[in-house]
Amino acid sequence: MAAERDPHRWVLDALERYEGPLILYAARFTGDVDRARDVVQEAFLKLCRKDPGELEGRLAEWLYTVCRNLAFDVRKKERPMAATNESGLVERTSPEAGPGERAERAEAVSEVLEVLGALPANQQEVLRLKFQHGLSYKEISRVTELSVSNVGYLMHVGLKTLREKLAGAAAPELGGGAQ
Amino acid sequence: MKNGTNDLRDDPRLTAYALGELEGDERAELERELRDDPRGSEAVGEVRALGAALAEELGRAEPRPSLTAEQRAAIAAAGGESGGGRAFRFRRVAAVVGSLAAAALAVTFFLPGLMSKRLGSAEDAVPALESEPVAMSPLPTEGIAHRYRGPGDSAPGRRALRPEREGGAVLDELRGLGYLGEKDTETYERIVENPFVRVLDDPLSTFSIDVDTASYANVRRFLNEGRLPPADAVRIEELVNYFTYAYPPPAGPDPFSVTTEVAACPWTPAHKLVRIGLKGRAITSWEPKEKNLVFLIDVSGSMNDAAKLPLLKRSMRLLVENLNESDRVAIAVYAGASGLVLPATPCDRKETILAAIEELSAGGSTNGGEGIELAYWVARRNFIEGGINRVILATDGDFNVGVTDRDDLIELIERKAKSGIFLSVLGFGTGNLKDATMEQLADHGNGNYGYIDSLQEARKVLVREGGATLETIAKDVKIQVEFNPAEVAAFRLIGYENRVLAHRDFNDDTKDAGEIGAGHTVTALYEVVPVGVPLDVAAGDVDDLKYQEPGAPSGAAWSGELMTVKLRYKRPDGDVSVPFDVPVRDERRPPSEDFRFAAAVAAFGMTLRDSAHRGGIGFDAVYDLAVQGAGPDPFGYRSEFLRLVQRAGELSGR
Repeated sequence: MAAERDPHRWVLDALERYEGPLILYAARFTGDVDRARDVVQEAFLKLCRKDPGELEGRLAEWLYTVCRNLAFDVRKKERPMAATNESGLVERTSPEAGPGERAERAEAVSEVLEVLGALPANQQEVLRLKFQHGLSYKEISRVTELSVSNVGYLMHVGLKTLREKLAGAAAPELGGGAQ
Repeated sequence: MKNGTNDLRDDPRLTAYALGELEGDERAELERELRDDPRGSEAVGEVRALGAALAEELGRAEPRPSLTAEQRAAIAAAGGESGGGRAFRFRRVAAVVGSLAAAALAVTFFLPGLMSKRLGSAEDAVPALESEPVAMSPLPTEGIAHRYRGPGDSAPGRRALRPEREGGAVLDELRGLGYLGEKDTETYERIVENPFVRVLDDPLSTFSIDVDTASYANVRRFLNEGRLPPADAVRIEELVNYFTYAYPPPAGPDPFSVTTEVAACPWTPAHKLVRIGLKGRAITSWEPKEKNLVFLIDVSGSMNDAAKLPLLKRSMRLLVENLNESDRVAIAVYAGASGLVLPATPCDRKETILAAIEELSAGGSTNGGEGIELAYWVARRNFIEGGINRVILATDGDFNVGVTDRDDLIELIERKAKSGIFLSVLGFGTGNLKDATMEQLADHGNGNYGYIDSLQEARKVLVREGGATLETIAKDVKIQVEFNPAEVAAFRLIGYENRVLAHRDFNDDTKDAGEIGAGHTVTALYEVVPVGVPLDVAAGDVDDLKYQEPGAPSGAAWSGELMTVKLRYKRPDGDVSVPFDVPVRDERRPPSEDFRFAAAVAAFGMTLRDSAHRGGIGFDAVYDLAVQGAGPDPFGYRSEFLRLVQRAGELSGR
């Protein structure tokens, strides 16, 4: 295997490919890039001590898993009394849509991320892992410790909500979430 | 399952199928069901389209950060040690690190549209570098040493892939996922100065106007504290635009006038300096417009500082005292939770407003995203058609955006701006200032960004120039200059580094640009190398082309004009831009006082930045030039500038 001939190259290649996405991913948990960088550095230092053959074919999920766990540890350490603010992020929609608001809704594409941001965190995570990081259901399942069917369910519900919200945004009447 | 009682669109298998995640029998089964279900097939297409849109949007809105050079070096070194052939590897590592060293200090996390707003033929090679904010605090080396672990103390044996963890606990933690910006650092976006561009390579220069002045106040703060500002805190266009220049008011139907002036360049006399000045119509009507102002105030713990919340409260009082009875003020706060402290209240009940201001107090952590939603919502509910509708965000930049991240927040603001509600950002305090973020927020919110370091500054920004800051008379104002190759060999736009636009964006009405307020002046300076003057500048780096010769100049090239300034702007409520052109000649007149003063301010910025283009000029020469241009100075801004130049000279020993 090429990887075994030059283990060092193997780490640098992995770094090149995954550094950016992993920092982005870790920053979702740590809340800032600096700490996310620390996490990713730590993950790669761990990788240096790994046998490349052992991770053959599951390098991505290994890196994401390690970063995720390290990021949780950082968060726990730095914010022991983590306040949940999920409930705070309710969607506020003014009942009477002004002309500006309608114009705003017309541009559905940039709306996508806003609606994504309003989804429950577990749905957001699987959607991001799929579409931002290109992981498969199986990989996501191992990274998040959810079953594959659970991943499939979250993905489905998340996308469905997105579609409904975006379609709703184009129409004058915004129905409440069906879920 | 397939007898119609169940809608395939509600079936997670459909989503999995659309995303290529179904295999074997399951896949065949679903395909069979889909054959009888046109709505299901349609949904498959929708899921795929949405997935593609998500991937694209996420890729666009969230640029990928990189590790610091030190972190990479530590990893590379560790990798090298665990294998063999250490010396060889280390050399290779050094090369990798070297090539990345320039980007080492960068933080890419919150950088949305800026990349697309930048262009510069010479910098194309390093786009990531120039657009990244720079953290002011050096990386703690102690932290690196700690993190750098030799192979000896590696993880104990075969550690399980992940520590044991309960799924529920993980989900709970995920729910709490938020943005925690609690570091005591000031960050500035990296500025790479615009280089000289040869007219034969590219005769066009395109940028968006900028009326922000925050950089000047921030530079003043540094100097008053006895420190020279870091180079990236010095945005030259904001220094120049801090001052008002005596441009004639617009005479025609356009909402602003354009004035140009050409004279020898003070720091490189063989070059010319071209000043382009815009002045907004002072008052659009004698009847002042009704105002609907929503303050959004950061009351997080970090605002609990004499230079922050107390100063903000005094500033707000100043503003409220100067509002008319029909104007409305609302106050929302954000911290751990956000809320409306004062619903929209007309100014005939000023005491109510002042009392609400009095009661503001700091405490809690920041969640700005939610607060912004609330503020815009209040502004929209109280929208005054034809009036001034504005959210005024006051913060020290300790900006937490909840579950959404910074890029999402900027997108949100950008969309809100299109609804006719503009945004002003007021920066307060020191030590925590997220300069780049605040400027970006204002930039994307059709707004402006002021840094308030004193009550005088509050008076200037909120009251004296309040009309300008609050009443936008033209938006998306873009400038494109075409240089005449018969007269100009090369040019350099001074400042405006983060306002540079792609040439094609000039005519693209969907591309955002800066606003101009009532009575505002905006000034831009070009350093121009006339034809015949040797080009000993960096622009000469490009070889002559082998297969083409410079195109033949048109008849207009012999007009004697140096250049044509083309402008595009939109009315505050318009969607279609209006163009107009102004040709510029060198009239060979002695420079006006204002010209000298603007040149002095630019030279001051270049000296503070230790610019490669500053020729022989230093703080002494800047001072002399500024004295010549100080002119009448009713509010003392220019004499304050002279004091700052002196101060900088003392601090630098230059």
